[in-house]
Amino acid sequence: MPEQLIQINNLTYTYANGFSALKGINININKNEFVAIIGQNGSGKSTLLKNLTGLLKPAIGDVLVDGLNTKEVSIAKLSCKVGFVLQNPDRQLFADTVEEEISFGPKNMKFSLQEIKERVEMALEYTGLKDNRDKFPPSLSAGERAKVVIASVVAMRPEIIILDEPTTGQDYRGCYQIMNIAREFHRAGHTVIVVTHNMALVAEYAYRTIVFCKGEVLLDGTAREVFGQPKILQMSYIIPPQITQIGQALEGELKTKKTFLRVDEIRDFISEIYNA
Amino acid sequence: MNQPVIEVKKLYYRYPYADRYVLNDINFSVNKGEFLCITGENGAGKTTLSLIISGIIPQAQGGKMRGTVTIAGLDTSEHELAVLSQNIGIVLEDPETQLFTSKVINEVAFGAENLQIPPEEIFSRIRWALKVVRLEGYENQHPMMLSGGQKQRVAIASVLAMRPNILVLDEPTSQLDPIGTIEVFEVIKELKEKYSMTIVMVTHKSEEMAYFADNILVLSHGSVLAYGKPKDILSNREVTTNAWITIPQISELYLKLKERGIDLGEFPILQEEGVALIRDLLEKRLSANA
Amino acid sequence: MPVIEYLPGNSFFHKLDPRVKIIFLLSFAVFIFTTRNFYIISVILALALFLWITSGIPIAKIINIVRLMLPIFIFVIIVQALFQVGHTNLVSPLIPKFVPLIGGRGRITLEGTIFGLVIGYRLLTLIILMPLISMTTDINTLCLGMVKMGMSYKIAYTATIAINMIPSMEEQIMTVMDAQKLRGFAVFEEGRIHEKMKAYPTLVVPMVIGAMKKSMLMSVAMDARAFGSKKTRTYIDKIAFTATDYSALIMLIILLGILSYYNFIR
Repeated sequence: MPEQLIQINNLTYTYANGFSALKGINININKNEFVAIIGQNGSGKSTLLKNLTGLLKPAIGDVLVDGLNTKEVSIAKLSCKVGFVLQNPDRQLFADTVEEEISFGPKNMKFSLQEIKERVEMALEYTGLKDNRDKFPPSLSAGERAKVVIASVVAMRPEIIILDEPTTGQDYRGCYQIMNIAREFHRAGHTVIVVTHNMALVAEYAYRTIVFCKGEVLLDGTAREVFGQPKILQMSYIIPPQITQIGQALEGELKTKKTFLRVDEIRDFISEIYNA
Repeated sequence: MNQPVIEVKKLYYRYPYADRYVLNDINFSVNKGEFLCITGENGAGKTTLSLIISGIIPQAQGGKMRGTVTIAGLDTSEHELAVLSQNIGIVLEDPETQLFTSKVINEVAFGAENLQIPPEEIFSRIRWALKVVRLEGYENQHPMMLSGGQKQRVAIASVLAMRPNILVLDEPTSQLDPIGTIEVFEVIKELKEKYSMTIVMVTHKSEEMAYFADNILVLSHGSVLAYGKPKDILSNREVTTNAWITIPQISELYLKLKERGIDLGEFPILQEEGVALIRDLLEKRLSANA
Repeated sequence: MPVIEYLPGNSFFHKLDPRVKIIFLLSFAVFIFTTRNFYIISVILALALFLWITSGIPIAKIINIVRLMLPIFIFVIIVQALFQVGHTNLVSPLIPKFVPLIGGRGRITLEGTIFGLVIGYRLLTLIILMPLISMTTDINTLCLGMVKMGMSYKIAYTATIAINMIPSMEEQIMTVMDAQKLRGFAVFEEGRIHEKMKAYPTLVVPMVIGAMKKSMLMSVAMDARAFGSKKTRTYIDKIAFTATDYSALIMLIILLGILSYYNFIR
């Protein structure tokens, strides 16, 4: 029986200006899941992430992270369980060197110097930043700065890591590197939650996909299940990845209602029919 | 007879206080009404090139520039920005760094005011520009209160109000959500199809390149890696791998089917195009088997 | 921050030409800092509050401003009380004699304390006067007013654009604080004063770098709009003196006259 790492019960949050961002959300996330959260801006995704990390506290309902109730625990304490990589890396860099930046988290957790050193090395290795360890973080390229922030969070070895639109403004190589780090983290047994607008990445990397629309959960299932419902997705202005759309357009010819997520899948299908 | 409205010859550029050149031996031209996409990995020099084409470098931002850049017949190092900006306008990546006033109408007027255009003329330009970007009715809104897509459209409108014939767009949708991206996409489409503007767009998104580009210029490490028609560039594995360009998934499908010995005939870059080819292929196969 | 917002309205003060408002602010500011007369400053303060209320701006904002400025007021009063020249000692010596090395030093004087209070009072009045202008005037109109009064448009626009950046800089600082909390840094939530004092400077570097990057990008965008390419520019906004403005100016002159009389005749 998989353990429930995150329990969100009836989470409701309204901002000071009256905007009702979340309306009674119920979600359970287990250990070692890879979840993508999608939906248009204003649908509640960021508010959800802030509630998961304690930056915001629920007005109604509870958020339990590995047994801790976010209303009862400080943000700093919660950060040992759930690491949050915010959207803009520049707002999360405040040290003089990459190495100092990465060691900030473990230092706050009061580890021994030896332990801190180990974790910093591990994080540098993980994110391919070993050659940049002495550099001034703001002087690095956009992709490298994003990786420094991820490394800083990884060094805390949280059970859960949340990435808020990690690929905005990145080129293909940057996207690829960041998503692969997330995938490695998942393979190492951690839970990964990614908020993104890039549907091709969701299809490529995510197992579970949750769709938000106007403060409510519209769909919650595997990426395949979710992208197989284009009409519902339209309500949240979401368009499935091109390859899925291609599959849907060729439903008649391929004689299948299967939802395709990868180029290989549809290539194999076409191949079979062609050679039949 | 198609005239080049942008001509770049033997361009080299180095930022002030920098020791290496970020652009080396760049040569290309853009004809009237053409849509050129510039692409390449981050750091390849795309933004620098777009600033040079629009005259901001060297007129407003220094550095060392060699070679010539001619816009609508004007050499950018010999004409002031006031003149150049009436021929070529540039929209940057981040909408928030392009908004300076507290009302949309003031924002759109900003550039024209700087050019000393008389107020009545500015008002008619504002009306036109807001119509093109579909923001009529938003005149008195505070720009910072708008959505990302709306902000970017205001930025486009404020450049349009200066009435350039050439528009440079530097990754206009990279900071926007899908809705904002579609909004800006539609505006660009209209500018191309209805107003026949010459457009240079820097982008990473292969769908945008496939849809809009007449030609693609690929930059890598400050030099031109490749230049050509979208189908030629996107089907060139060597170029796309070296410059870290993603190709549309339909194009990838074509290549992967080819690996299995299945030839769709033409290299598709648009979804509809590829789907039609696959349909044809399967139909022919079915009737061949029958 | 309250200084930047614009709250549209139809009050007397709202409708005044921005130039009149600027003259209003400048003349009172000069007065505030050249007089030591408590009553005169009080009159100006009362006028500011009166205009504040009649303009329809919520009182809550004044309380907000005062709360934000409180640390500065206290700081000023303490500094003046301790170091200003004065004869009448209230507390002397400040540091008890038995303390080694520095014992027997320091004193709080009456004159100093009073002087500190006067400075504090001046600042308070000024702090209430300034938002009165910015909250009742659209920033573009204000900018135009300054230009018509002879300020270079480059300076006027640069100043207003910079001011407009302040809210986003504030937001940046909050985000950096959040980022630190998210990495286990508990000081902002639970730390003691001296720990917090040590931590605040770390927020400055990312904010400054962020502001620098943003300014560089904005300057490129302004170049793209040909800003500064010509000596003058045209404006779509119009401002013009009306009868209301002239009468306001006359009232202002009369008031200044009365205040000057009391100030210089004592």
